[in-house]
Amino acid sequence: LFSPWKGRTSEILSSLPLHILLYVNGIYYIFYFLATLAMIIYKSQVFSYPDDLLAPDLAVLFLMAILEVPRLYLGFKGNLTEAEAPLGLSLGLTVGSVVLCVYQLLWQTYVLQADVLLNAVLLSAYGLESGLKVTAIAAFVS
Amino acid sequence: PVDTRDATQARLRSLPAPITDVSRLCVCDLLVAQCDTNCCCDPDCSAQDFGLFTACSVPVVTGDSRLCSQKAAVYSLDVEANPPERIFKLIDQVNPSIFCIHATNYKQALYLKSPEIPTAENFDQLLDKFGGATFSAELDSWNLDTDAQNPPDANETSRYEYGVPVQTEDAFLRLPSPVVSSWCSDANPAGFLVNQATKCIRSVSVEKCDSVQALSMLFYINSSILASVFQVNITVQSIAVQSLNGTRSLVSSSDVLRLPMVLDELCINAVLGVNYHITYTDTGEIIGAAAAFVLGAISKEALSIEQSFEISFTQENTQPVPLSGNPGYVVGLPVRAGFQPQGYPFPAAFLFAALALSSNKHRQLTILQSTSSQDCLAAQGARAPVLFGYNMISGCKLRITAAMQCQPLAQTLLDVLKGQSFPEYVASFGNSQAQDVLDWVPITQLHISEQMISGTLQSSCQIPVSLGIEVKWTKYGSLVNPQARIVNVTATITTSTLKQLASGRERIIPITSSVVFTDISSPAEPSYKAWPTINIKLPFDFFYPFV
Repeated sequence: LFSPWKGRTSEILSSLPLHILLYVNGIYYIFYFLATLAMIIYKSQVFSYPDDLLAPDLAVLFLMAILEVPRLYLGFKGNLTEAEAPLGLSLGLTVGSVVLCVYQLLWQTYVLQADVLLNAVLLSAYGLESGLKVTAIAAFVS
Repeated sequence: PVDTRDATQARLRSLPAPITDVSRLCVCDLLVAQCDTNCCCDPDCSAQDFGLFTACSVPVVTGDSRLCSQKAAVYSLDVEANPPERIFKLIDQVNPSIFCIHATNYKQALYLKSPEIPTAENFDQLLDKFGGATFSAELDSWNLDTDAQNPPDANETSRYEYGVPVQTEDAFLRLPSPVVSSWCSDANPAGFLVNQATKCIRSVSVEKCDSVQALSMLFYINSSILASVFQVNITVQSIAVQSLNGTRSLVSSSDVLRLPMVLDELCINAVLGVNYHITYTDTGEIIGAAAAFVLGAISKEALSIEQSFEISFTQENTQPVPLSGNPGYVVGLPVRAGFQPQGYPFPAAFLFAALALSSNKHRQLTILQSTSSQDCLAAQGARAPVLFGYNMISGCKLRITAAMQCQPLAQTLLDVLKGQSFPEYVASFGNSQAQDVLDWVPITQLHISEQMISGTLQSSCQIPVSLGIEVKWTKYGSLVNPQARIVNVTATITTSTLKQLASGRERIIPITSSVVFTDISSPAEPSYKAWPTINIKLPFDFFYPFV
């Protein structure tokens, strides 16, 4: 029988928790994006929201969305191919996303209670992800 | 010194800081150093004052209720205690909604915006922004539109609207009038269709007689009025010369310009009065202007003279009749009245015009005017015009002696009450023309005898004691701009028996006359435009060749 695994250890270095977390993160992010966009629209109607303050908030949200796509893709790819480079790049993008998330939590024009909840959940997901990525990179390198 | 001035200016330029502490904020504290009733948060109130309150007008003082958690000051009255006392609690108010504001980085979101203090630098910009009737963010685009309309001057001057200043070559047609004090100011423009008459004082001296412009005729007819595409020159209609003792005489040659000059220590040909007559068409274009002057002489001792100016507007091809409204009567203007000529309605209606408008006192409905002596027989002839909308009552006292004859007395009293020429018709609208006979309402005359009221008929002498004119009017026309229209006029004469007096005795009876205006408008009926109908008609030969 031709076994491709002969001569190799059968240990899989890809982190399953990381994969699950990335998957859940993707779904959660779609919900987060739609919810935050809806809330910004709600805030602009109900509160006094001048245009020069609305623009940065929307820009941050869309920038986060743009960052999220490559970040998740690189995370998946790096994890599955057990390569450190994509995973490292994903970690770098995660740092950017964390900064933007903190902005949404602290420096937005109006921070509603719902905003606080959504961003806190996202931040904790990022934190957990970063930890798992670091562990995975360490596993791949060694 | 410069620094302190800058500092004070800087202090003045900023408003005091707003109070945001709920425990110190009290909206019902309006009186300074005094207790406001039912204001539980007022620091000027003592415990005895709280005992007199019934309720707290301001129970809670909070910031924006949409905040997730904030401090709230709660005031309440404890009515159980004796005396009632005020309870003040500072609590944390929590908004349970998930969309409550947790934090905000935009300071002005929760507070009213502090207005900009006007300074010398930003005053013009603030005036542009807030000086108009509307505060529009698109103010610049509005300004551009109005600028675009200004250049075509020809369109502007061809049609005048009511009140618009009459434009001349250099500025406006001036009607000098007193402003603030009685001294003449030459800056008053004459408004189109605004009939004005002003009197003012101008300081003069005989030495500067020919150099003061306002005394010369040329000053008033110099500029020509701008109207449509051509200019209307002001012609001299007539010149009247007033002598020093006040008599006026018309000058035959009114086309010669008489300029002021010094003659024998007098300044002659000085303008004492100007009367402008402007003729206009029914579309609002001015077609003629004429000025009638009164010239006089100023003596050496005179330091000032009184000048009078008048302007009147007449529509072309109409009689210059003062209207009491256009078309409905205006409250306060005299009720127009007239007579019917003999042989109405067959002879031409222009006779009506001639008779009705022949003299001033016949044109109006008048009522007896009370005088200070209050004696009916002494004050004959004093009449006051009946003004539309003003109910009036006037009267006099009649002293009856035994020697008075009844019939002449009755006739005299009738004259006193009704006046020399009591009109027969009253104009229905303020601008009713004499030619339109249907626009005039006949005055119904009624006689009521007081004896008939008491039930017994006596054929003894009756004298009129009161005249009551009741004018019934209604609102006519559109709902948004109703016009007053007189519908019915009834003049009721009440007579009473004159009892014979014993000789030597006399009686005083009051004679009254009154005018009452009654509004008999029926409630307005809204009317709607008819629904548009689809008007389809088939052509005659539509079904050719089958039909």
